[in-house]
Amino acid sequence: MNSQIKLSTIIVTLVSAFLVYASFILGDSENYLFPRLISATIAILTIMLWFEKGEADKSTNFKDLMPGIAIASAFILLLKILGFYLASMIVFFTLVMYYTKPTESKDFWRVLLIKLGVAFVFTFALYGLFTLLLKVHTPEGLF
Amino acid sequence: MEFLNYFDNVFTVYHIALLVGGTFAGIILGALPGLSPTMSVALLIPFTFHMKPESGLILLGAMYTATVAGGAISAILVNVPGAPANIATALDGHKMAQNGKAKNALHYCFISSFVGGVFGVFILIFFTPPLAALSLKFMSTELFWVAILGITIIATLDSKSVIKGLLSGLFGLMLATIGEHPTNAVERFVFTEHLESGVHIVVGLIGLFAMPQVWNLLENFYAKKNQVFSATGDATLIESFKLVFSKLKALSIGSIIGSIIGIIPGAGGQIAGIVAYDQSKKVSSNRENYGKGEPEAIIAAESANNSMVGPSLIPLLTLSIPGSPTAAVLLGGLLIHGIFPGHDIFTKNPEVIWTFIDSLIIAQILMLVIGLFLSRHSKWIMKVPDNYMAVGILLLAVFGTYSIQNNYSDVLIMFTLGTLMYFGSKAGFSPVPVVLGLILGTMTEEKFLLGNLIGNAKGSSFQHFTSGTINIVLISLCIASIVYGVYSSRKSKKN
Repeated sequence: MNSQIKLSTIIVTLVSAFLVYASFILGDSENYLFPRLISATIAILTIMLWFEKGEADKSTNFKDLMPGIAIASAFILLLKILGFYLASMIVFFTLVMYYTKPTESKDFWRVLLIKLGVAFVFTFALYGLFTLLLKVHTPEGLF
Repeated sequence: MEFLNYFDNVFTVYHIALLVGGTFAGIILGALPGLSPTMSVALLIPFTFHMKPESGLILLGAMYTATVAGGAISAILVNVPGAPANIATALDGHKMAQNGKAKNALHYCFISSFVGGVFGVFILIFFTPPLAALSLKFMSTELFWVAILGITIIATLDSKSVIKGLLSGLFGLMLATIGEHPTNAVERFVFTEHLESGVHIVVGLIGLFAMPQVWNLLENFYAKKNQVFSATGDATLIESFKLVFSKLKALSIGSIIGSIIGIIPGAGGQIAGIVAYDQSKKVSSNRENYGKGEPEAIIAAESANNSMVGPSLIPLLTLSIPGSPTAAVLLGGLLIHGIFPGHDIFTKNPEVIWTFIDSLIIAQILMLVIGLFLSRHSKWIMKVPDNYMAVGILLLAVFGTYSIQNNYSDVLIMFTLGTLMYFGSKAGFSPVPVVLGLILGTMTEEKFLLGNLIGNAKGSSFQHFTSGTINIVLISLCIASIVYGVYSSRKSKKN
């Protein structure tokens, strides 16, 4: 069992143990009958997982992935403060600026202006589609 | 011939506009490498909330049909299948593109997709009502086992590891138990205020299918991309039609195999395309050209993956078991519109269901016309940068999730579930069984509790669940699917 598979198996085991604890200890037998059945089956399968000869997992490129997750997480947290549209424009611009390929134009200010323009047009299109046309609520925040 | 009575409902300006829009967007989304049909349909569901059920289903059906066909564009021009269903198409389609015949390959692809697709819809029309009548014999315990069978089949077919597949399905069932108890409204597993309303089906669908795509696009952003070929070639449309219809053997093999595999719960277009490719190769007189750019190979694969679309809805509409991952998402679409699959689906909602089925035929015609038109400009479609696609999906996912109940907690749940699923998929867990568990969870628990109540009144709950012909057949099928899953996973490891 390689280290990545071992780590995922440990996490699954912890989740299974928590589910068994929450179903059998925290919950009563009347309302938690079905979750008990499921969590017990999960526990049995988790034990079997330890004996499974797993293949090597796909490796994760954390270096390129984590900045994206961080920017998107900040967007989710800022949604309620800034509102959907302003937060969307900021996350759009930040993500496409951060993820810039070396083959793109060397003129930084040109790239910045183009991406800012696209972010603005895209957000305005979302506003037109969601708020004006579909009349659907979005997180409001300040704006 | 009841289906003929509902064509009028399809031919309204509104519904035709939905069909054209859904097909157009579906082909483009299908053509974009990295965007799966399942994710596209999941992202579209919130937009259908405010529509009438038949209108919403028409839009989702058009998108489903078009994304499967659109996936062939990137398979041919970039050698990256737009959907798993197009893997077999890439084998010969991309070779034709390398030989300067991408346009010919795209013509064959859309024409054979159309033929297969129409064939599949007719299978759906003629086989669904009798199967729906058969489901009348299913009571609470039978329906419980049907749900377990659906999860078991999807779990064993969609995952490399049977144990991980089954665990994924069970995690989905556990997710469905968060929130209020289905009969007495007691709160369960509500450890934070964000979990008070439980996990809404659409929140789960969007999180599990859309967010992993966002992370995947960003993680591989700097990876080297494949060359995109132009849609060049010497074929006229009439010549392409003549060629496709002259390859009747490949067309028939693809359409029939695709339909059969579509009916098998959980199998999906990937298996349909590969099996049809393999079978047509065995009987073809040009078998030595397979893998070198053989039109017959494309015709068999594409007619198969599109003929699978209609039949994949048969087990879905009659027994709540989806025939493909995208059909699992459609099940969520049906449920949020208050349509519950089963024996009475054609008596309670005949207008909605028949209008939806009829619209699938029109969607096939539109897929052919729009697909042939878009394939000329397909090189530009594939030049959309991954960073723009990723942020576009992220914003649509957040908007779609929030719009369901105007609830910020749903956004947090969607984001967390999707991110966990992404890392889970790296460890071999699949989102499809999780989604099916989540969708079928409430129904499964309700039937379990009802069956348990009746069983206890009769003296033995265990005996009640394990007696009766249908129960025994369903339990045997569950065991058989697990045994088959273990066998095929060991076989593939050996190979």
